[in-house]
Amino acid sequence: MTILNVVKEHFWGFLAATGMTLQLTAVSLVLAVVIGLLFAFLKLSKNRAANIFADAYIGLTRGMPLIVQLMFLYFGISSILVLSPFWAGSLALAFHAGGYVAEILRGAIQNTDSGQTEAARSLGMSRFKAMRLIVLPQAFRRAIPPLGNQFIIGLKDSTLVAYLGVPELFSKAMTAAAANYQPFETYLVAGTYYLVLVMIFTWMVNKLEKRLTPHRQEATL
Amino acid sequence: MSVIDIKGLHKSFGDMHVLKGIDLTVEPGEVVVIIGPSGSGKSTLLRCINFLEFPDEGEIHVNGELIDPKKTNLDKVRQHMGMVFQQFQLFPHKNVLHNITIAPIEVKGLPHKKANAIARDLLEKVGLPDREKAWPSELSGGQKQRVAIARALAMDPDIMLFDEVTSALDPELVNEVLQVMQELAAGGMTMVVVTHEMGFAREMADRVVMMADGMIVEQGTPEQMFDGPQEERTQTFLGQVL
Ligand SMILES: Nc1ncnc2c1ncn2[C@@H]1O[C@H](COP(=O)(O)OP(=O)(O)OP(=O)(O)O)[C@@H](O)[C@H]1O
Ligand SMILES: [Mg+2]
Repeated sequence: MTILNVVKEHFWGFLAATGMTLQLTAVSLVLAVVIGLLFAFLKLSKNRAANIFADAYIGLTRGMPLIVQLMFLYFGISSILVLSPFWAGSLALAFHAGGYVAEILRGAIQNTDSGQTEAARSLGMSRFKAMRLIVLPQAFRRAIPPLGNQFIIGLKDSTLVAYLGVPELFSKAMTAAAANYQPFETYLVAGTYYLVLVMIFTWMVNKLEKRLTPHRQEATL
Repeated sequence: MSVIDIKGLHKSFGDMHVLKGIDLTVEPGEVVVIIGPSGSGKSTLLRCINFLEFPDEGEIHVNGELIDPKKTNLDKVRQHMGMVFQQFQLFPHKNVLHNITIAPIEVKGLPHKKANAIARDLLEKVGLPDREKAWPSELSGGQKQRVAIARALAMDPDIMLFDEVTSALDPELVNEVLQVMQELAAGGMTMVVVTHEMGFAREMADRVVMMADGMIVEQGTPEQMFDGPQEERTQTFLGQVL
């Protein structure tokens, strides 16, 4: 059984590379949420210039193939400042996912009943406090399913960073396949790693959503 | 000095002229009940009083101070006015206690202990002493509204604004909310109440204000308004609702 041989030979190596994949995914997604939140606010702002800027960013990230953005940003970023492939890759992935996260969060914020903001303001809260204490917690809660989805996409998108020379799972698989002439078995094994990661992640998102459900209803009446 | 003093208030939404020159004063301890047909601008007036809507024209004095929405710190003004909404608007991600303490803690900077004590005291007052850990979704409409009243009272306001706070309730839950309002009025709270509950108006109002079509058409004591309204529009309206 050649698959077993591949597993035997690469189990630990792939697992280590999975660690790199997870780091890459985690860092880029945290950054993507920060970027996404920023652009969600720009998009919701009453300032025309801010809207246009946000639209341009979201349009760019959604309108071009990820690999093109990765290459462009990688060479763009590294021509200005010296970054390790890991950080260049993380930033590029974050830039890409940020556009999607921005749209998710904008929708979630907009779907929060304006009466909630009014109630908060009527108690003397500033616009900022009403947003931070009342609207955003509800918006994030509502955004968990689409954000979880986006995170799964981000995990799978991280494979493309292999082309920037980051030693993550997919690049390890490519190297192994080139060396053992068993691409089918090798990619099947690597694919299984991703599948298991996604399953674990989906389970965690569902758990989180359930945990936050008891008081979720009636956010908007 | 009046708590609220409104002169010549106008408000439009687009080309819809909703408030057409409102003059209204509210004295300390007074209970003013606003009645009138749907769309007459009652909610808009209430929302202008705490500047959830900005007036287009006219003056609003709060505790003697002329408020300029562009210059005055409105957060400060609103801290001294409680508002209760038809749809409760409890914060669904906070339990009952936190719904009540969040503004005292975050806005006034009260220590948690003090805020909790105030909240428990108020929950006692609105008849929900044992529900502080409940989530809003676990409460009945009447309980929600009583928590909403406690939440507004926790800021120790000078005046309370009520916008049809019993309209979204099942009929059997209306009384428990009205009773809380009644006790509040009896305790000397200054209140502006928009309501269709004519029983409450007759019993609790110091003054009843009839609005129609963006204007105050008539005002007076409950006896004057209910037993001998002068204006035809008041007569027609009361004829429909009584
Ligand atoms: N934000 C807004 N934008 C546009 N139109 C509005 C807005 N708020 C209120 N209106 C309109 O202004 C008019 C007066 O509304 P308002 O809510 O003040 O009436 P109301 O007397 O409270 O009526 P109801 O008894 O039905 O609550 C209505 O025709 C309403 O559609
Ligand atoms: Mg109304």
